[in-house]
Amino acid sequence: MSDQPPQCGADHCITCGDEGIPMTVLRVDERRGLALCATEAGERQTVETALIEPVAAGDMLLVHAGTAIAALQSARREVTR
Amino acid sequence: MKFVDEFRDAELGQAVAGEILSLVEPGRHYKLMEVCGGHTHSIYKYGVDDLLPVNVELVHGPGCPVCVIPMGRVDDGIALAQIDGVIFTCFGDMMRVPGSDGSLLDAKAQGADVRMVYSPLDALRIAKQNPEREVIFFAIGFETTAPSTALTLKRARAEGVSNFTCMCSHVTIVPPLRALLESPDLRLDGFIGPGHVSTIVGARPFEFIPADYGKPVVIAGFEPLDILQAIAMILRQLAAGASSVENQYTRVVPYEGNRRALEVMAEVFELRPHFEWRGLGFISHSGLKLSDAYADLDAERRFGVPGVRVADPKACQCGEVLKGVIKPWECKVFGTACTPERPIGTCMVSSEGACAAYYNFGRFAREREVV
Repeated sequence: MSDQPPQCGADHCITCGDEGIPMTVLRVDERRGLALCATEAGERQTVETALIEPVAAGDMLLVHAGTAIAALQSARREVTR
Repeated sequence: MKFVDEFRDAELGQAVAGEILSLVEPGRHYKLMEVCGGHTHSIYKYGVDDLLPVNVELVHGPGCPVCVIPMGRVDDGIALAQIDGVIFTCFGDMMRVPGSDGSLLDAKAQGADVRMVYSPLDALRIAKQNPEREVIFFAIGFETTAPSTALTLKRARAEGVSNFTCMCSHVTIVPPLRALLESPDLRLDGFIGPGHVSTIVGARPFEFIPADYGKPVVIAGFEPLDILQAIAMILRQLAAGASSVENQYTRVVPYEGNRRALEVMAEVFELRPHFEWRGLGFISHSGLKLSDAYADLDAERRFGVPGVRVADPKACQCGEVLKGVIKPWECKVFGTACTPERPIGTCMVSSEGACAAYYNFGRFAREREVV
Protein backbone atom coordinates (compact mmCIF):
# COMPACT_ATOMS: atom_id res chain seq x y z
CA MET A 1 0.00 0.00 0.00
CA SER A 2 1.36 3.39 -0.91
CA ASP A 3 1.35 6.00 1.79
CA GLN A 4 1.29 9.76 1.99
CA PRO A 5 0.56 10.32 5.67
CA PRO A 6 -0.87 13.53 7.11
CA GLN A 7 1.87 16.08 7.68
CA CYS A 8 2.86 17.53 11.03
CA GLY A 9 2.80 21.30 11.30
CA ALA A 10 2.10 24.09 13.75
CA ASP A 11 -1.54 23.08 13.67
CA HIS A 12 -1.07 19.34 13.85
CA CYS A 13 0.68 17.33 16.52
CA ILE A 14 0.44 13.61 16.22
CA THR A 15 2.24 13.17 19.52
CA CYS A 16 -0.56 14.79 21.47
CA GLY A 17 -2.42 12.08 23.34
CA ASP A 18 -5.74 13.37 22.13
CA GLU A 19 -5.31 14.04 18.42
CA GLY A 20 -7.52 12.22 15.94
CA ILE A 21 -8.04 12.56 12.19
CA PRO A 22 -11.30 11.58 10.44
CA MET A 23 -10.39 9.26 7.54
CA THR A 24 -12.37 7.22 5.03
CA VAL A 25 -11.52 3.58 4.34
CA LEU A 26 -10.49 2.98 0.72
CA ARG A 27 -9.42 -0.64 0.88
CA VAL A 28 -9.24 -3.32 3.56
CA ASP A 29 -6.54 -5.97 4.03
CA GLU A 30 -8.46 -8.29 6.34
CA ARG A 31 -5.67 -10.87 6.62
CA ARG A 32 -3.21 -8.31 8.02
CA GLY A 33 -5.76 -6.24 9.95
CA LEU A 34 -4.92 -3.08 8.01
CA ALA A 35 -6.85 -0.60 5.93
CA LEU A 36 -5.75 2.00 3.41
CA CYS A 37 -7.47 5.21 4.45
CA ALA A 38 -7.58 8.76 3.15
CA THR A 39 -8.31 12.14 4.69
CA GLU A 40 -10.79 14.44 3.00
CA ALA A 41 -7.79 16.22 1.43
CA GLY A 42 -6.73 12.92 -0.14
CA GLU A 43 -3.72 12.17 2.08
CA ARG A 44 -3.37 8.40 2.44
CA GLN A 45 -2.22 6.29 5.35
CA THR A 46 -2.14 2.60 6.25
CA VAL A 47 -4.19 2.20 9.42
CA GLU A 48 -4.40 -0.53 12.07
CA THR A 49 -8.03 -1.61 12.42
CA ALA A 50 -7.77 -4.19 15.23
CA LEU A 51 -9.58 -2.01 17.78
CA ILE A 52 -12.73 -1.46 15.75
CA GLU A 53 -12.99 -4.38 13.32
CA PRO A 54 -14.83 -5.21 11.16
CA VAL A 55 -14.41 -2.26 8.80
CA ALA A 56 -15.41 -1.90 5.18
CA ALA A 57 -14.57 0.43 2.31
CA GLY A 58 -16.48 3.68 2.75
CA ASP A 59 -16.44 3.60 6.57
CA MET A 60 -15.30 6.77 8.28
CA LEU A 61 -12.78 6.24 11.09
CA LEU A 62 -11.10 8.41 13.68
CA VAL A 63 -7.36 7.73 13.35
CA HIS A 64 -4.69 8.43 15.92
CA ALA A 65 -1.01 7.54 15.34
CA GLY A 66 -1.85 5.11 12.57
CA THR A 67 -4.52 3.29 14.55
CA ALA A 68 -8.28 3.63 14.19
CA ILE A 69 -9.58 4.41 17.68
CA ALA A 70 -13.26 4.89 16.83
CA ALA A 71 -15.74 4.37 14.00
CA LEU A 72 -17.35 7.69 13.14
CA GLN A 73 -19.71 6.35 10.52
CA SER A 74 -20.22 2.97 8.94
CA ALA A 75 -20.88 2.63 5.23
CA ARG A 76 -23.52 0.09 6.25
CA ARG A 77 -25.07 1.76 9.26
CA GLU A 78 -24.97 5.04 11.13
CA VAL A 79 -23.05 4.66 14.38
CA THR A 80 -23.02 8.24 15.55
CA ARG A 81 -25.85 10.24 16.92
CA MET B 1 -15.72 18.38 6.51
CA LYS B 2 -18.30 16.11 8.07
CA PHE B 3 -17.95 15.74 11.88
CA VAL B 4 -15.93 18.96 11.92
CA ASP B 5 -17.75 21.87 10.26
CA GLU B 6 -20.99 21.43 12.19
CA PHE B 7 -19.05 21.82 15.44
CA ARG B 8 -17.55 25.16 14.36
CA ASP B 9 -20.83 27.00 13.74
CA ALA B 10 -20.37 30.58 14.98
CA GLU B 11 -24.08 31.25 15.62
CA LEU B 12 -24.46 28.14 17.72
CA GLY B 13 -21.27 29.11 19.54
CA GLN B 14 -22.74 32.49 20.45
CA ALA B 15 -25.89 30.77 21.68
CA VAL B 16 -23.95 28.43 23.96
CA ALA B 17 -21.83 31.37 25.15
CA GLY B 18 -25.09 33.10 26.10
CA GLU B 19 -26.17 30.03 28.02
CA ILE B 20 -22.82 29.98 29.84
CA LEU B 21 -23.30 33.62 30.82
CA SER B 22 -26.73 32.79 32.25
CA LEU B 23 -25.28 29.95 34.33
CA VAL B 24 -22.53 31.85 36.17
CA GLU B 25 -23.20 33.51 39.50
CA PRO B 26 -21.88 37.09 39.61
CA GLY B 27 -19.05 37.36 42.10
CA ARG B 28 -18.18 33.70 41.99
CA HIS B 29 -14.88 32.74 40.32
CA TYR B 30 -14.87 29.48 38.39
CA LYS B 31 -11.61 27.65 37.73
CA LEU B 32 -12.00 24.84 35.20
CA MET B 33 -9.11 22.66 34.04
CA GLU B 34 -8.92 21.32 30.51
CA VAL B 35 -6.86 18.21 31.07
CA CYS B 36 -5.82 17.63 27.50
CA GLY B 37 -3.31 19.64 25.47
CA GLY B 38 -5.53 19.19 22.42
CA HIS B 39 -8.22 21.20 24.21
CA THR B 40 -5.69 23.92 25.13
CA HIS B 41 -4.72 24.18 21.48
CA SER B 42 -8.36 24.39 20.30
CA ILE B 43 -9.31 26.97 22.94
CA TYR B 44 -6.68 29.42 21.70
CA LYS B 45 -6.93 28.54 18.03
CA TYR B 46 -10.66 29.32 18.00
CA GLY B 47 -10.66 31.98 20.71
CA VAL B 48 -13.06 29.98 22.89
CA ASP B 49 -11.93 31.82 26.03
CA ASP B 50 -12.95 35.15 24.49
CA LEU B 51 -16.56 33.93 24.58
CA LEU B 52 -16.43 33.22 28.31
CA PRO B 53 -17.41 35.53 31.15
CA VAL B 54 -14.39 37.00 32.94
CA ASN B 55 -15.07 34.96 36.08
CA VAL B 56 -14.73 31.65 34.19
CA GLU B 57 -11.02 30.87 34.12
CA LEU B 58 -9.54 28.01 32.13
CA VAL B 59 -6.52 26.29 33.66
CA HIS B 60 -4.34 24.18 31.41
CA GLY B 61 -3.67 20.64 32.56
CA PRO B 62 -0.85 18.15 32.17
CA GLY B 63 -2.31 16.30 29.17
CA CYS B 64 0.43 16.91 26.63
CA PRO B 65 2.67 13.83 26.46
CA VAL B 66 5.63 15.75 25.07
CA CYS B 67 5.42 18.36 27.82
CA VAL B 68 5.60 15.86 30.67
CA ILE B 69 8.70 13.98 29.49
CA PRO B 70 11.60 14.79 31.86
CA MET B 71 15.05 15.71 30.57
CA GLY B 72 16.63 12.50 31.80
CA ARG B 73 14.29 10.51 29.61
CA VAL B 74 15.33 12.55 26.55
CA ASP B 75 18.97 11.86 27.47
CA ASP B 76 18.16 8.12 27.58
CA GLY B 77 16.69 8.36 24.08
CA ILE B 78 19.76 10.21 22.78
CA ALA B 79 22.03 7.55 24.32
CA LEU B 80 20.13 4.85 22.42
CA ALA B 81 20.18 6.90 19.20
CA GLN B 82 23.97 7.20 19.40
CA ILE B 83 24.58 3.44 19.48
CA ASP B 84 26.30 2.30 16.29
CA GLY B 85 23.91 0.78 13.78
CA VAL B 86 20.75 2.01 15.49
CA ILE B 87 17.92 3.78 13.65
CA PHE B 88 16.06 5.75 16.32
CA THR B 89 12.47 6.65 15.46
CA CYS B 90 10.13 9.05 17.24
CA PHE B 91 7.23 11.42 16.67
CA GLY B 92 8.14 14.85 15.27
CA ASP B 93 7.76 17.04 18.32
CA MET B 94 9.81 14.68 20.48
CA MET B 95 12.85 15.43 18.32
CA ARG B 96 12.92 19.04 19.52
CA VAL B 97 12.56 18.41 23.27
CA PRO B 98 15.74 19.58 24.98
CA GLY B 99 17.71 17.08 27.05
CA SER B 100 20.56 18.08 29.33
CA ASP B 101 22.93 18.36 26.35
CA GLY B 102 20.80 19.02 23.29
CA SER B 103 17.83 17.36 21.64
CA LEU B 104 17.39 14.34 19.41
CA LEU B 105 17.49 16.78 16.50
CA ASP B 106 20.96 17.89 17.68
CA ALA B 107 22.00 14.23 17.96
CA LYS B 108 20.81 13.75 14.38
CA ALA B 109 22.89 16.75 13.25
CA GLN B 110 25.89 15.13 14.91
CA GLY B 111 25.43 11.93 12.94
CA ALA B 112 22.92 9.78 14.81
CA ASP B 113 20.28 8.20 12.56
CA VAL B 114 17.13 9.74 14.07
CA ARG B 115 14.01 9.58 11.95
CA MET B 116 10.56 11.08 12.43
CA VAL B 117 7.59 8.75 12.08
CA TYR B 118 3.85 9.36 12.12
CA SER B 119 2.95 6.04 13.73
CA PRO B 120 4.59 3.03 15.39
CA LEU B 121 3.61 1.12 12.27
CA ASP B 122 5.92 3.39 10.24
CA ALA B 123 8.78 2.53 12.61
CA LEU B 124 8.10 -1.18 12.14
CA ARG B 125 8.16 -0.69 8.37
CA ILE B 126 11.61 0.93 8.68
CA ALA B 127 12.76 -2.12 10.67
CA LYS B 128 11.52 -4.48 7.95
CA GLN B 129 13.25 -2.39 5.27
CA ASN B 130 16.53 -2.39 7.23
CA PRO B 131 16.97 -5.93 8.59
CA GLU B 132 20.70 -5.39 9.23
CA ARG B 133 20.02 -2.40 11.55
CA GLU B 134 18.45 -2.20 15.00
CA VAL B 135 15.36 0.04 14.93
CA ILE B 136 14.14 1.60 18.18
CA PHE B 137 10.79 3.37 18.55
CA PHE B 138 10.54 6.05 21.27
CA ALA B 139 6.96 5.48 22.44
CA ILE B 140 5.29 8.40 24.18
CA GLY B 141 1.69 9.33 24.77
CA PHE B 142 -1.31 8.70 26.97
CA GLU B 143 -3.82 5.87 26.63
CA THR B 144 -4.82 7.15 23.18
CA THR B 145 -1.41 6.27 21.75
CA ALA B 146 -0.47 3.27 23.91
CA PRO B 147 -2.75 0.78 22.07
CA SER B 148 -1.09 1.76 18.80
CA THR B 149 2.33 0.87 20.24
CA ALA B 150 0.97 -2.35 21.74
CA LEU B 151 -0.57 -3.46 18.44
CA THR B 152 2.69 -2.73 16.61
CA LEU B 153 4.71 -4.77 19.10
CA LYS B 154 2.29 -7.66 18.70
CA ARG B 155 2.61 -7.31 14.93
CA ALA B 156 6.43 -7.26 15.16
CA ARG B 157 6.33 -10.50 17.10
CA ALA B 158 3.77 -12.12 14.79
CA GLU B 159 5.80 -11.19 11.71
CA GLY B 160 9.10 -12.29 13.30
CA VAL B 161 10.75 -8.84 13.09
CA SER B 162 13.66 -9.27 15.51
CA ASN B 163 15.44 -5.93 14.94
CA PHE B 164 12.57 -3.80 16.30
CA THR B 165 12.40 -2.63 19.90
CA CYS B 166 10.57 0.03 21.84
CA MET B 167 11.67 2.54 24.47
CA CYS B 168 8.40 2.82 26.35
CA SER B 169 7.55 6.18 27.94
CA HIS B 170 3.78 5.88 27.82
CA VAL B 171 1.91 7.49 30.70
CA THR B 172 -1.56 7.19 32.17
CA ILE B 173 -3.91 10.08 32.85
CA VAL B 174 -5.58 9.25 36.16
CA PRO B 175 -2.56 9.32 38.57
CA PRO B 176 -1.46 12.89 37.63
CA LEU B 177 -5.07 14.08 37.98
CA ARG B 178 -5.20 12.61 41.46
CA ALA B 179 -1.83 14.24 42.23
CA LEU B 180 -3.20 17.60 41.03
CA LEU B 181 -6.34 17.23 43.12
CA GLU B 182 -4.16 16.54 46.17
CA SER B 183 -1.97 19.56 45.42
CA PRO B 184 -2.45 22.25 48.09
CA ASP B 185 -1.68 25.16 45.75
CA LEU B 186 -4.46 24.50 43.27
CA ARG B 187 -8.19 24.97 43.69
CA LEU B 188 -10.30 23.73 40.81
CA ASP B 189 -14.07 23.71 40.35
CA GLY B 190 -14.35 21.19 37.52
CA PHE B 191 -12.65 19.34 34.70
CA ILE B 192 -13.04 19.23 30.94
CA GLY B 193 -12.16 15.55 30.49
CA PRO B 194 -9.86 14.25 27.75
CA GLY B 195 -11.87 13.14 24.72
CA HIS B 196 -9.71 10.67 22.88
CA VAL B 197 -8.09 9.14 25.95
CA SER B 198 -11.65 8.37 26.98
CA THR B 199 -12.29 6.65 23.64
CA ILE B 200 -9.89 4.01 24.98
CA VAL B 201 -10.41 4.04 28.76
CA GLY B 202 -14.03 5.19 28.81
CA ALA B 203 -15.56 7.59 31.30
CA ARG B 204 -15.56 5.28 34.32
CA PRO B 205 -11.90 5.94 35.41
CA PHE B 206 -12.85 9.58 36.08
CA GLU B 207 -15.65 8.73 38.49
CA PHE B 208 -13.27 9.15 41.45
CA ILE B 209 -13.19 12.90 40.81
CA PRO B 210 -16.85 13.54 41.73
CA ALA B 211 -16.90 10.65 44.21
CA ASP B 212 -13.75 11.58 46.19
CA TYR B 213 -13.38 15.29 45.48
CA GLY B 214 -16.91 16.46 44.63
CA LYS B 215 -15.88 18.03 41.31
CA PRO B 216 -17.77 17.67 38.02
CA VAL B 217 -16.08 16.14 34.96
CA VAL B 218 -17.38 16.52 31.42
CA ILE B 219 -15.59 14.54 28.70
CA ALA B 220 -15.42 16.76 25.64
CA GLY B 221 -14.59 16.74 21.95
CA PHE B 222 -12.10 19.10 20.36
CA GLU B 223 -14.14 21.44 18.22
CA PRO B 224 -15.04 24.86 19.66
CA LEU B 225 -18.72 23.96 20.13
CA ASP B 226 -17.73 20.76 21.95
CA ILE B 227 -15.64 22.74 24.42
CA LEU B 228 -18.25 25.46 24.94
CA GLN B 229 -20.95 22.87 25.49
CA ALA B 230 -18.76 21.01 28.00
CA ILE B 231 -18.18 24.25 29.93
CA ALA B 232 -21.94 24.88 30.00
CA MET B 233 -22.51 21.32 31.28
CA ILE B 234 -19.94 21.80 34.08
CA LEU B 235 -21.48 25.15 35.07
CA ARG B 236 -24.95 23.56 35.07
CA GLN B 237 -23.72 20.92 37.52
CA LEU B 238 -22.08 23.57 39.70
CA ALA B 239 -25.25 25.68 39.67
CA ALA B 240 -27.24 22.66 40.83
CA GLY B 241 -24.64 21.77 43.47
CA ALA B 242 -24.09 18.45 41.71
CA SER B 243 -20.97 16.59 40.65
CA SER B 244 -20.83 13.67 38.24
CA VAL B 245 -19.06 12.42 35.13
CA GLU B 246 -20.88 13.44 31.97
CA ASN B 247 -19.99 12.62 28.39
CA GLN B 248 -20.35 15.46 25.89
CA TYR B 249 -18.38 13.54 23.23
CA THR B 250 -20.84 10.69 22.76
CA ARG B 251 -20.23 10.55 19.01
CA VAL B 252 -16.83 9.00 19.75
CA VAL B 253 -16.55 8.05 23.44
CA PRO B 254 -18.33 4.95 24.77
CA TYR B 255 -18.79 5.12 28.56
CA GLU B 256 -17.03 1.78 29.00
CA GLY B 257 -14.15 2.57 26.60
CA ASN B 258 -12.68 0.20 24.02
CA ARG B 259 -12.42 -3.31 25.45
CA ARG B 260 -10.06 -4.58 22.75
CA ALA B 261 -7.66 -1.68 23.32
CA LEU B 262 -7.66 -2.26 27.08
CA GLU B 263 -6.99 -5.97 26.55
CA VAL B 264 -4.06 -5.43 24.21
CA MET B 265 -2.59 -2.83 26.58
CA ALA B 266 -2.93 -5.23 29.52
CA GLU B 267 -1.13 -7.92 27.52
CA VAL B 268 1.81 -5.80 26.33
CA PHE B 269 2.32 -3.30 29.16
CA GLU B 270 2.54 -3.25 32.91
CA LEU B 271 2.61 -0.30 35.29
CA ARG B 272 5.94 1.07 36.44
CA PRO B 273 6.12 1.49 40.23
CA HIS B 274 7.01 5.17 39.66
CA PHE B 275 7.47 7.47 36.68
CA GLU B 276 8.95 10.94 36.69
CA TRP B 277 6.79 13.72 35.20
CA ARG B 278 8.33 16.98 34.23
CA GLY B 279 7.43 19.56 36.84
CA LEU B 280 5.23 17.15 38.78
CA GLY B 281 7.97 14.83 40.08
CA PHE B 282 7.59 11.09 40.60
CA ILE B 283 4.02 9.79 40.51
CA SER B 284 3.25 6.21 41.51
CA HIS B 285 1.86 3.82 38.90
CA SER B 286 1.65 6.57 36.27
CA GLY B 287 3.92 5.14 33.58
CA LEU B 288 3.90 2.00 31.46
CA LYS B 289 6.72 -0.39 30.61
CA LEU B 290 6.72 -3.55 28.52
CA SER B 291 5.51 -6.63 30.35
CA ASP B 292 7.88 -9.57 30.92
CA ALA B 293 6.19 -11.37 28.03
CA TYR B 294 7.48 -8.62 25.72
CA ALA B 295 10.88 -8.12 27.41
CA ASP B 296 12.71 -9.09 24.20
CA LEU B 297 11.14 -6.08 22.46
CA ASP B 298 12.15 -3.66 25.22
CA ALA B 299 14.98 -1.36 24.03
CA GLU B 300 15.89 -0.45 27.60
CA ARG B 301 16.48 -4.10 28.45
CA ARG B 302 18.19 -4.97 25.17
CA PHE B 303 20.62 -2.03 25.10
CA GLY B 304 20.49 -0.46 28.60
CA VAL B 305 20.04 3.29 29.22
CA PRO B 306 21.87 5.68 31.57
CA GLY B 307 18.64 6.40 33.49
CA VAL B 308 20.15 9.50 35.10
CA ARG B 309 17.72 11.97 36.63
CA VAL B 310 18.32 15.52 35.41
CA ALA B 311 16.86 18.57 37.14
CA ASP B 312 14.81 20.94 34.98
CA PRO B 313 16.52 24.23 34.00
CA LYS B 314 16.16 26.75 36.83
CA ALA B 315 14.67 29.46 34.62
CA CYS B 316 11.95 27.14 33.31
CA GLN B 317 8.59 27.13 35.10
CA CYS B 318 6.98 24.30 33.12
CA GLY B 319 6.09 22.61 36.39
CA GLU B 320 3.91 25.49 37.55
CA VAL B 321 2.40 25.82 34.08
CA LEU B 322 1.60 22.09 33.95
CA LYS B 323 -0.09 22.31 37.34
CA GLY B 324 -2.01 25.40 36.23
CA VAL B 325 -0.51 27.47 39.06
CA ILE B 326 0.77 30.15 36.70
CA LYS B 327 -0.19 31.21 33.19
CA PRO B 328 2.48 30.71 30.52
CA TRP B 329 3.11 34.44 30.11
CA GLU B 330 3.88 34.69 33.83
CA CYS B 331 6.99 32.51 33.34
CA LYS B 332 10.19 34.56 33.45
CA VAL B 333 11.54 33.25 30.13
CA PHE B 334 8.26 33.02 28.16
CA GLY B 335 8.60 34.55 24.71
CA THR B 336 12.10 35.85 25.40
CA ALA B 337 14.69 33.17 26.10
CA CYS B 338 12.09 30.42 25.51
CA THR B 339 10.31 30.35 22.13
CA PRO B 340 9.04 27.54 19.88
CA GLU B 341 12.20 27.98 17.77
CA ARG B 342 14.52 27.69 20.79
CA PRO B 343 12.51 26.08 23.59
CA ILE B 344 13.91 25.80 27.10
CA GLY B 345 10.90 23.94 28.48
CA THR B 346 8.80 21.21 26.93
CA CYS B 347 5.57 23.24 27.14
CA MET B 348 7.00 25.45 24.39
CA VAL B 349 7.89 22.51 22.12
CA SER B 350 4.63 20.83 21.24
CA SER B 351 1.85 22.81 19.60
CA GLU B 352 -0.41 21.28 22.28
CA GLY B 353 1.81 22.67 25.04
CA ALA B 354 0.22 25.56 26.93
CA CYS B 355 3.20 27.88 26.35
CA ALA B 356 3.35 27.19 22.59
CA ALA B 357 -0.43 27.68 22.33
CA TYR B 358 -0.19 31.05 24.07
CA TYR B 359 2.84 32.07 22.01
CA ASN B 360 1.46 30.99 18.64
CA PHE B 361 -1.89 32.67 19.20
CA GLY B 362 -0.50 35.92 20.57
CA ARG B 363 -1.50 35.53 24.20
CA PHE B 364 1.58 37.20 25.69
CA ALA B 365 -0.40 38.69 28.55
CA ARG B 366 -4.01 39.44 28.99
CA GLU B 367 -6.40 41.30 31.17
CA ARG B 368 -9.99 40.60 30.14
CA GLU B 369 -12.68 43.18 30.45
CA VAL B 370 -15.52 42.39 32.78
CA VAL B 371 -18.52 41.13 30.78
